[in-house]
Amino acid sequence: MKINYKIAITFLVVAIAAMIWLAGSIKENNEDRVILNLTPEIEHVDRAENEKWARYYPRQYGSWMKTKESDNVQDMLEEKSQLAVLWAGYGFSKDYNAPRGHFYAIQDNTNTLRTGAPVDGKTGPMPTACWSCKSPDVPRMIEEDGKLEYFSGKWAKYGSEIKNTIGCYNCHNPKTAELEVHVPFLNEGLVAAGLPTFEESTHQEKRSLVCAACHSEYYFKKEKWTDEEGNEKLAKVVTFPWQNGLTVEGAEKYYDEVEHVDFKNKISGVPVLKAQHPGYELFRTGIHGQKGVSCADCHMPYTQEGSVKYSDHQLQNPLNTMDRSCMPCHRESEEKLKGVVARKYERKDELHEIAMDNLAKAHLEIAKAMEVGASDEELKETRALVRRGQWRWDYAVASHASFFHAPEETLRILSVANDFAMQARIEIVGLLASKGVMNYSAPDFDTKEKAQKLAGVPLEKLVAAKLEFKRTLEKEWNKQAVEKGNWSEDTKNTIEKNDLKASYTIEK
Amino acid sequence: MSRKNLRNITLALFAIATFCFAYIVYTSKMISYLSADPKACINCHVMNTQYATWQHSAHRERATCVECHLPTDNVFEKYIAKSIDGWNHSVAFTTHQHKSSLKISDYGARRVQKNCISCHKSVTSQIISNAENHHSSKKLGDRKCWECHKSVPHGKVRGMTTAPYNLGVKEQTK
Repeated sequence: MKINYKIAITFLVVAIAAMIWLAGSIKENNEDRVILNLTPEIEHVDRAENEKWARYYPRQYGSWMKTKESDNVQDMLEEKSQLAVLWAGYGFSKDYNAPRGHFYAIQDNTNTLRTGAPVDGKTGPMPTACWSCKSPDVPRMIEEDGKLEYFSGKWAKYGSEIKNTIGCYNCHNPKTAELEVHVPFLNEGLVAAGLPTFEESTHQEKRSLVCAACHSEYYFKKEKWTDEEGNEKLAKVVTFPWQNGLTVEGAEKYYDEVEHVDFKNKISGVPVLKAQHPGYELFRTGIHGQKGVSCADCHMPYTQEGSVKYSDHQLQNPLNTMDRSCMPCHRESEEKLKGVVARKYERKDELHEIAMDNLAKAHLEIAKAMEVGASDEELKETRALVRRGQWRWDYAVASHASFFHAPEETLRILSVANDFAMQARIEIVGLLASKGVMNYSAPDFDTKEKAQKLAGVPLEKLVAAKLEFKRTLEKEWNKQAVEKGNWSEDTKNTIEKNDLKASYTIEK
Repeated sequence: MSRKNLRNITLALFAIATFCFAYIVYTSKMISYLSADPKACINCHVMNTQYATWQHSAHRERATCVECHLPTDNVFEKYIAKSIDGWNHSVAFTTHQHKSSLKISDYGARRVQKNCISCHKSVTSQIISNAENHHSSKKLGDRKCWECHKSVPHGKVRGMTTAPYNLGVKEQTK
């Protein structure tokens, strides 16, 4: 074939010109795309201060501020008086409230009698680890001081540093606002469990994992280390017990292997494991978790404001936002769904009460056996049974709404918990009989007062010390936080103005 | 000019044209359009709102963009539709002819409706058999599912800038 080169050249020149123009157009559009998708960049130094993000993300910030509306303090020790007996000798028998909105995280952590009444940075009952989930200042301190230094020392050490409540920097990259976790324990747990790390997970999984960073079971792992100046220090590092799987049995196996005991029950001497809100673990076993629904899908529903859509940052009970949280998937009426949820709660609460009563009685009956001369050796098996029962009961109820997230698993764990408690109580009947005690009936624990008396909680003293702390050191911390630039004067005033409620009366 | 020179120029231009074409394949992410990945639909920013609203909808778990928007029963029809849409989208986007609030074409709407019916077969079979009674003035096909199910699945807002800072879409900014 004879090629007409002139035509071919003309064609090629036109084609090349067209393609160069097209490439230019694509490049230009691509730049537009990147710029349009860009989120505002926030100065590095301001990352932990929530209100610094407000001007860039006004809707997200505004809805996040509304977590302030969830301000009711519900004293769980009043509501479920058995708790003080179960936790005798541990901080939770002093003070335990149902959770409030994220807005109050720092304030409630500061007000609870569990964190005591330090008089300086080196006193008080709790370690620094107790701040770990309360504030975007925590990743800031880990970045500034290093992980082990952050986890060493007393809670009061960071009183003037950790001031901003759970907010933007806990879940978001300060430059791009992408989902990000800045505390080490989530990825350490995921790796131990053989699961993909946060970074390896999909966007949809991240919409749950940012919550899992805190709403998971953990303990403080003791690590000895030496700092640069040669000082020997003991770090208490937040660690997820996920090595044997994200289950109640897996975590128990892990704790047994490392011989972990959270506290010895003061009444019975049982070496207790305290469960800490394994919300994520339980959620995974439920139908919503199985179907790939994320925490944010229901707790941060997509919301329309005028002609703009965004994720609602007012984290709360999705029953308050059913139209946006439930109805996009479910076709039944809101009323019907509410009925279904209420029945789920009743089922859990029935087993919950039975298990708590049996466990509390088991502690008191062991105390009776000790009183009539039972030895530690004789009580070893019984105490082990109570430990296993109490761990299960606590695991089933310690997180938010496990009865809804994972009803089957919650009821299963509660029944097994109750079985262990009953096994223990049968053992004690025999043991008491062998010591000549028949038909022993444990003392009443049907009010907070009676239960705390059994647990030996000096409530008035604790409250007086806390109020003194609030008058002195807390005020000092707030002042220093403003001076150091961790807090603005405005934030300080807002927080102090809203410091109104605790399980005891706050002086004004 | 000698024929040999002409031939060399032609070959050189052909090489340049091939290079340009390869560059365009690369920079326009052309290959990604052969996939069914919803992210291919947000290669440019125009579909961000549609992607974001779908990603927050119940359909996210069950159906990707192409599973609703392209014919699913016939592979030839699928690629014909894909080519026609692809051409129209490229022209509109390159020449900036699209508006801020996007509206589906009649051809596109018919395809989506067909997929609604085929996925939701058990629900729709009865509706179809009773269609004459209830939609008597119009044959089925004239009315669309989303005339009533207005917010399925993209919600009621569809402007190009109505889902700002959507973090799922931001996967594409890298």
